[in-house]
Amino acid sequence: MRDSILDLRVNQETQQQGKLNAFLGSAQQIQALFNETSGTGLQSSLTAFFSSLSQLSANPSDLNVRQGVLSAAQNLAGAFNQSSANLTTVQRNVDLGVSQSVTQVNTLTAQIATVNAQVAAAQLSGQNAGPFVDQRQQLINQLSNLVDVSEIDAGNGSLTLTTSSGAPLVVGGQSFQLTTQPDPTNGLQHVFSQGVDITTELTAGQLAGQLQIRDQEISSLQNSLDALASGLATAVNTQHKAGFDLNGAAGGNFFVPPPASGAGAASSVTVAISDPTKIAASASGAVGDNASANAILALQNQTMISGQTPVNFYSTVVFKLGNAISSAQTEQQSGGLVLSQIQNLQGGISGVDINEEAANLIRFQNAYQASAQVSSVINALLQTTINLIP
Amino acid sequence: MSIRLDPNLLPDLLTAVQQSEQNMNIATQQLASGRSVNQLSDDPAAVAALVGNHDRAGQDDQFVRNVSSLQARFQVADSTLSNVVTVLTRAVTIGTEGANGTLSASDRQAVAGEVQGLTSQLLSLANTSYQGTYIFSGTAVKTQPFTLNTTTNAVAYNGDGNTTSVELSSGNPINTNVPGSQVFQNGSGNAFGALQNLNAALLSGNNIGAAVTQVQDALSQVSTQRVFYGNALNQITLSESFLSQEKVNLSSQENSLVGVDPAKAASDLVQAQVANQAILAASGRVLSLPTLLSFLK
Repeated sequence: MRDSILDLRVNQETQQQGKLNAFLGSAQQIQALFNETSGTGLQSSLTAFFSSLSQLSANPSDLNVRQGVLSAAQNLAGAFNQSSANLTTVQRNVDLGVSQSVTQVNTLTAQIATVNAQVAAAQLSGQNAGPFVDQRQQLINQLSNLVDVSEIDAGNGSLTLTTSSGAPLVVGGQSFQLTTQPDPTNGLQHVFSQGVDITTELTAGQLAGQLQIRDQEISSLQNSLDALASGLATAVNTQHKAGFDLNGAAGGNFFVPPPASGAGAASSVTVAISDPTKIAASASGAVGDNASANAILALQNQTMISGQTPVNFYSTVVFKLGNAISSAQTEQQSGGLVLSQIQNLQGGISGVDINEEAANLIRFQNAYQASAQVSSVINALLQTTINLIP
Repeated sequence: MSIRLDPNLLPDLLTAVQQSEQNMNIATQQLASGRSVNQLSDDPAAVAALVGNHDRAGQDDQFVRNVSSLQARFQVADSTLSNVVTVLTRAVTIGTEGANGTLSASDRQAVAGEVQGLTSQLLSLANTSYQGTYIFSGTAVKTQPFTLNTTTNAVAYNGDGNTTSVELSSGNPINTNVPGSQVFQNGSGNAFGALQNLNAALLSGNNIGAAVTQVQDALSQVSTQRVFYGNALNQITLSESFLSQEKVNLSSQENSLVGVDPAKAASDLVQAQVANQAILAASGRVLSLPTLLSFLK
């Protein structure tokens, strides 16, 4: 026995779970990169960079202190590069997952198309289509884990499956393959159905979760890191160029200038100088002057990136990421409860109860025995009757 | 007729077992790490606040290091100026003796020689350096601030008149030096000029009283400037105690953001353990219940 409404609800919840599971799986890798609870994230490098400038302010002509500033700046640039590279790695892995999900979808839709045709044929010839319907329902449930599926009854027991945006997956006995093609700008796979790019139209299922983390979460984190790296590097450069180095020469760029758009700044930022005497700590040219170092140090508390200080901006980024993960976790837990409730209801209707079946068995067995007894009585009667005939 | 239940109990039982194991895990992790927030998603707001907290703590650590490096520099400057005061006081004493007219010309020559010696002492004091940088040359810390022209006997100032400031807590900069020109060659008192005039006056026997007054002016000027270092030392001591107080506040804030209440975590752990055992025991019972088939022979 099946309740088609419950089947639909199970599929819908499975789609949501599929999406959230895929999202959380990768998001947990990302949050490990921003683990500020143990103090190993970008914040410590940012703070150490400004601390080294504070030390420079107290000892502007000390070469060891200047070397310390360069090391701290290199560490900061390295931390930016590393964070960005780690994000890119996660993004590439998720991208691989997208292709694999599409392959799985195609395998399932092909199977469903075959079973779909068998259901229609069985119904037309008046045979029992039950086993095929069960099998089809199970396959659709698996497909729901991967992609958002809409079911339309096409008559004769046949189903038409589409994505919720209307891209066809299965029509009658035919399945429509999804394909992937790399985006020419960033090389990430886009999902196509019948030549139409449906990447942004997928709303549920594992595939949608993968796309969400790849195209939204990671991209937005990269953009934030880029904004932080380029904002900081540009501001430091501007102050640094206004000062004078230990030899009295005007300061050059401290960091290699980031691209004007800021794109890719986090992955590419590097320290432009390697000679500690080239740090422009002086505003007057005198070796003991520290006004330029003070001006660069003051950037620590200046609202320069989206109206926030560098550390506040970073803490907002961390908060947004944590919040996205935390709310996805809550959603996944509550969705999981709903799913198991519905599955219980479904089981209440479709499940097999041993006691019930045993009772039925005895009932049928008794009926059989009774019928057999009746037959044996009739047989005895007939025997008696026949024996009457001389 | 009663409502038909899902005859398959296993998924529900497994969910319950997993839930209790997860609770045990969380409590164990909290006890082991001493933190209630072990990853970003545990409490995003607390972690975001922690970023600011760690940043402040890092700044304070650096301020404390700045305090100790400045303290040493200020102490050197202060004790140098204390020696300068001794030198000038001695010059005043000598000058006063020379001025009362009881000394013979040869005696005056001898004390003039002592004044000459005091001048070179003063010169070396004014050229005091700390960790390779001159204390009294303004911001030109690599330039020897005072040089004696041996032919004209004049002392020239080669430093500049600039000062520097260093932050000792957020938004609280402290001036870290007084240029040597202000200490030793101020308009209201020129220590080198005064000593040389005294020397000349003692040699010639004329205007010794006026020369002594000049030295006294220079002495009071040096004393005035020395107050700067005294104040600065007081100020950094204050900053130091402020910073250590702030560090205490920051670490108690960190504790309230992400710290764990060990008693609560321990009782959570026990609770989760009990729940886990109860579920496992119940599962064992339910799953081994006989069915109707067991009674059919």
